[in-house]
Amino acid sequence: MSGRVIVITSGKGGVGKTTTNANIGTALARAGKKVVMIDTDLGLRNLDLLLGLENRIVYTIVDVVEERCKLRQALVKDKKNPNLCLLAAAQTRDKTAVTEEQLKKICEELQKDFDFILVDCPAGIEQGFQNAVAGASEAIVVTTPEMSAVRDADRIIGLLEAKEEIKSYKLLLNRVRPNLIKSNDMMSVEDVVEILSADLIGIIPEDTGIITSTNKGDPIVNDDNSLAGKAYNNVARRIMGEDVPFLNLEEDTGVFAKVKKFFSGLMGKEK
Amino acid sequence: MKDIFQDLFNKVFGFFRQAEKEENAKDTAVNRLRVVLMQDRTNLTPELLEKMRGELIELLSKYVEMDKDALELNFEQEGNQMALMLSIPVLRAKDEDEIEDAEAEDEASENNEDEAGENQDEEQVSQEEEIQEEESESEKQESNTNSKQNKSK
Repeated sequence: MSGRVIVITSGKGGVGKTTTNANIGTALARAGKKVVMIDTDLGLRNLDLLLGLENRIVYTIVDVVEERCKLRQALVKDKKNPNLCLLAAAQTRDKTAVTEEQLKKICEELQKDFDFILVDCPAGIEQGFQNAVAGASEAIVVTTPEMSAVRDADRIIGLLEAKEEIKSYKLLLNRVRPNLIKSNDMMSVEDVVEILSADLIGIIPEDTGIITSTNKGDPIVNDDNSLAGKAYNNVARRIMGEDVPFLNLEEDTGVFAKVKKFFSGLMGKEK
Repeated sequence: MKDIFQDLFNKVFGFFRQAEKEENAKDTAVNRLRVVLMQDRTNLTPELLEKMRGELIELLSKYVEMDKDALELNFEQEGNQMALMLSIPVLRAKDEDEIEDAEAEDEASENNEDEAGENQDEEQVSQEEEIQEEESESEKQESNTNSKQNKSK
């Protein structure tokens, strides 16, 4: 078996890299794939929190590199899904504790046992980014329809294109707010795709459910009623090669929503 | 009664005019991003762009009379490709005599410039050569001292 190594990156912080990582990983594992997630954000680890695994971490990636434990010993199994594992970042060390070569070696070793290796990249374009990208052959660039996030995504795409090892990269547009797009207050999906001229792999709506799911340490893809969860599930299916149409984020169900929409439409015109 | 209608008309008319004028937040974002990304991608600074603009105006005014202030030089994106778009508001094309005059003028000034330039070039070259010679001499000296040191060891 030779698993696919996908790095999830963004340039800008706070656009949802780690949330994306946790959800895509969980969705792939729910689909029966063997998945391992590597948190490379040394010193600022968070992936363990989003998965609710913070109390189970014994060894980290730095312990593996410095040979205090075997790679297999450092993998933390998910509570719900035995297909899902996490290799946590060290919280007390900085980005120089692991080198590009060492990360590459870890990815190569994990490829033997897993279908997917998802690498959670730190924000920025410094050594932390270079390390995270080192072992990957695919990339997902997370961005939001905001100017600074799009600008940083453009920079990241430029850097990814210069890397020979990265065979393909896809764009994931996070925190999309259909109402703001409709009122022409936010850039649309089409605007962002045209500006960055990259292939889209997912559109995730802004969802308050993400906050509660993070608080609980339970990725939102486990909630079958959530729209964001559905969108993340679709991303996982696209990664597996399925042709899934993008969700219609403007679908309004129920009479109440329609009445509300009618009135908000009137209010908007009066301004 | 008439006043009320007048007032209403003004309000409605004013609303539509305002709506036309105001650029929405989305378009502002898209336009600002385009400009900033062009600069990021090409590493072309606004100063260089301005210089290019000035030289283009100089060149083109030989052939056409144009509104220099309204000339626009911008990057535009078409798919994966970047294009440098030049929009020139032409007032009128110059006739052949004018172009010939301009060419004659250019040639005259070019000749002057060339002569001056050639002299300068020669001076520069000779200076560079001197520097190189000095360098190679100092290298020789260094290697001499090195070999001396080696010998003494």
